[in-house]
Amino acid sequence: MIPLVLYVLLASTMFTIGLYGLLTQRNGIKLMMCVEILLNSANINLVAFSAYLPNVNGQVFALFSIALAAAEAGVGFAILITLYRLYGTIELDNINALRW
Amino acid sequence: MYQDYAYLIVGLPILAFVLTIFLGWHLPKGGGFFTVLATFAGFILSFGIFNEIYPNDEIVHQSMHWFANFNAGILIDPLAIVMLLMVTFVCTMIHTYALGYMEGDPGMARYFAEAGLFTAAMLGLVFSDNLLQLFIFWELVGLCSYLLIGFWYRKPSAASAAKKAFLVTRVGDVMFLAGIVLLYTNMVKLNLTLPDGAYLLQFQTIYDSLTLIPPDQLTWIAVLLFGGAVGKSGQFPLHVWLPDAMEGPTTVSAMIHAATMVTAGVYLVARMFPLFYAAPNALMVVAYVGAFTALFAATMGLVMFDIKRVLAYSTVSQLGYMMAGLGIGAAMGAFSVGVSMFHLIGHSFFKALLFLCAGSVIHAVGTNDLREMGGVLKHMKWTGLTMLAGSLTLAGFPYTTGFFSKDEIIVTAYEHGAMGFGWLPYIFAIGAALLTAIYTFRLWFLVFDGEPRSDYHKHESPWIMLGPLVILAIFALFMGMPSQEGFYHYVGNNFDHFGVDFEELAVIGGHHVEHGAHISEPFIIKILPIIIGVGGIIVAALFYSRWKRFDPGMVTSERDPLRKILLKRYYQNEIYTLWFAEKVVYGIALLSNMIDLKIIDGTVNKISAISVGFGGTLRKLQTGVIQNYLTAIVLGLAVLLILIELASLGVAI
Repeated sequence: MIPLVLYVLLASTMFTIGLYGLLTQRNGIKLMMCVEILLNSANINLVAFSAYLPNVNGQVFALFSIALAAAEAGVGFAILITLYRLYGTIELDNINALRW
Repeated sequence: MYQDYAYLIVGLPILAFVLTIFLGWHLPKGGGFFTVLATFAGFILSFGIFNEIYPNDEIVHQSMHWFANFNAGILIDPLAIVMLLMVTFVCTMIHTYALGYMEGDPGMARYFAEAGLFTAAMLGLVFSDNLLQLFIFWELVGLCSYLLIGFWYRKPSAASAAKKAFLVTRVGDVMFLAGIVLLYTNMVKLNLTLPDGAYLLQFQTIYDSLTLIPPDQLTWIAVLLFGGAVGKSGQFPLHVWLPDAMEGPTTVSAMIHAATMVTAGVYLVARMFPLFYAAPNALMVVAYVGAFTALFAATMGLVMFDIKRVLAYSTVSQLGYMMAGLGIGAAMGAFSVGVSMFHLIGHSFFKALLFLCAGSVIHAVGTNDLREMGGVLKHMKWTGLTMLAGSLTLAGFPYTTGFFSKDEIIVTAYEHGAMGFGWLPYIFAIGAALLTAIYTFRLWFLVFDGEPRSDYHKHESPWIMLGPLVILAIFALFMGMPSQEGFYHYVGNNFDHFGVDFEELAVIGGHHVEHGAHISEPFIIKILPIIIGVGGIIVAALFYSRWKRFDPGMVTSERDPLRKILLKRYYQNEIYTLWFAEKVVYGIALLSNMIDLKIIDGTVNKISAISVGFGGTLRKLQTGVIQNYLTAIVLGLAVLLILIELASLGVAI
């Protein structure tokens, strides 16, 4: 069996990558992708601990989380498409109508 | 029986006020008969109460709790009952006269409503049993005088006279209020345990605690209360509003000068006489201010050409007599209250009479200016004769009412001097008496005697106006003789009902009164007022009547500086209005305005500008870019985690 620490390492690597992307990127699609990476890193953790604990709760939770991520991605892309229609870009820096 | 309805004395005129102001427009004569009837009913009630309490020398006292340690109540003692009788009687006469005088004025309903309220306020002031209630009615009197002086408010001079009356008396009212507050704080400090039904600021309580209040405080309280009286009663230096108050209808002047308003100040000092008695310095101020006012105003009455203005200055002067009469109480004790009040009552009759006569003349002739009158007697016999009666008694012709009252004040002023309290009141009083006789008859001769000096209307006034004149004339001439002695004792002993011990108060004041040790005045002093009164009439006759032997021009000329200063009324207008009001007060107002705008508003504006600027800078922190926030959150979390980690490792943070 693969040691738990590897899962955790993988998860934290993914989390860091996601976070880094979130902080540095300006492109809407890229940001959505980063958010997905973040969520999935959490999912990996959930599933890994669930398998090690023998407790199925974590996996059920992960399923919910995936469903949630799908919904979130749907809404997010819908917003991005609308923004693109309005502004002709999804570079978030240019979308600042409500900013001071 | 009557005393159970004492509240109606004020209640009915107030009811008349309400009825007249709402319904008067639809009624004949502006609903004035409501006011007349209400005042007359007040007179009947007062008379009934008088008949009940006089034989057994009782007082009526009803009181109910109001709030905290104050009450509302009715106190009818000798001092109050004579005032009630006088006010209701004289006001009934004046209101009846006004039914004729105000005929045809579009504001008649308003006039009678305000006149009714005025009467009610004065009556309420008189029968208050505590100082706070008295003050409330006092202010109401001030308000009504403002409304009535400015009755013809479209006339700029009337509007400004009303404002002047209100503002000048306000100076006094502020002092009065300060006096009440000072008295109140002192009485609270005493920690009195009040018996049931007694309240702070009730006159009884005040009289009882006079001996406990420190004497220097008493002096201050007395002086402040007198300040209120100075404003209301037109004493020097706050007398300036009174001659200007002529701008209202003549009946208003009669009311203000005779029955209501100006007598309030004298009444206040009489009411608080024990307090003044315990503060001899304040009493001396009263005596000197009063006597000085008597002389000062009389000199101005001498040269005025406006018939009402002469009478106005005569009122100021006579009020000075009343104040002086109270002030010389240092020598005479409470007897002087009787003397002064007697002059007040007598003065109310003859001054109401004189004003109503003047109103009748003005009504017929159509001018106020003495120079355009002359020979009116031929056409207005009744007015002329009743005015002669009023003038005789004002001049102090022997055995008229004014003679008894004024004579008594002058003689007591002599005793005041003889007992070592100072001669000035006497000198002023006797000088004013001479001038009074002269200016009164100068007025009468100029109006009624001689040849017409202009083409005026000639007709006698209707009987609704003459009736009150005749009644008042009878009172003015003959009231004094029978009632004199009884009055002095009845009112002079007023404070015995409250158990005021004047000898004890005298000790606080640091003087003592020898009871019964009347100084016997020399014969010349006794008859001097008669000589002066009659002499003054003769002097006036020699200068102004048909038997004229001298011309006024022989004594003074247009360029005479003394005459000029009198005609200019001692430059009061210049000093008060042009210099004090327009330079000093307006200057201070401008300065205050500047301070308000620049410093106070400036500070506030500056503070708000700083806040706005700071906020403007600070909001830049909120970039609106989620990533920036996220960065901050992540950094914060990282720092937090590191700290927790360090802490768990045992590193002291």
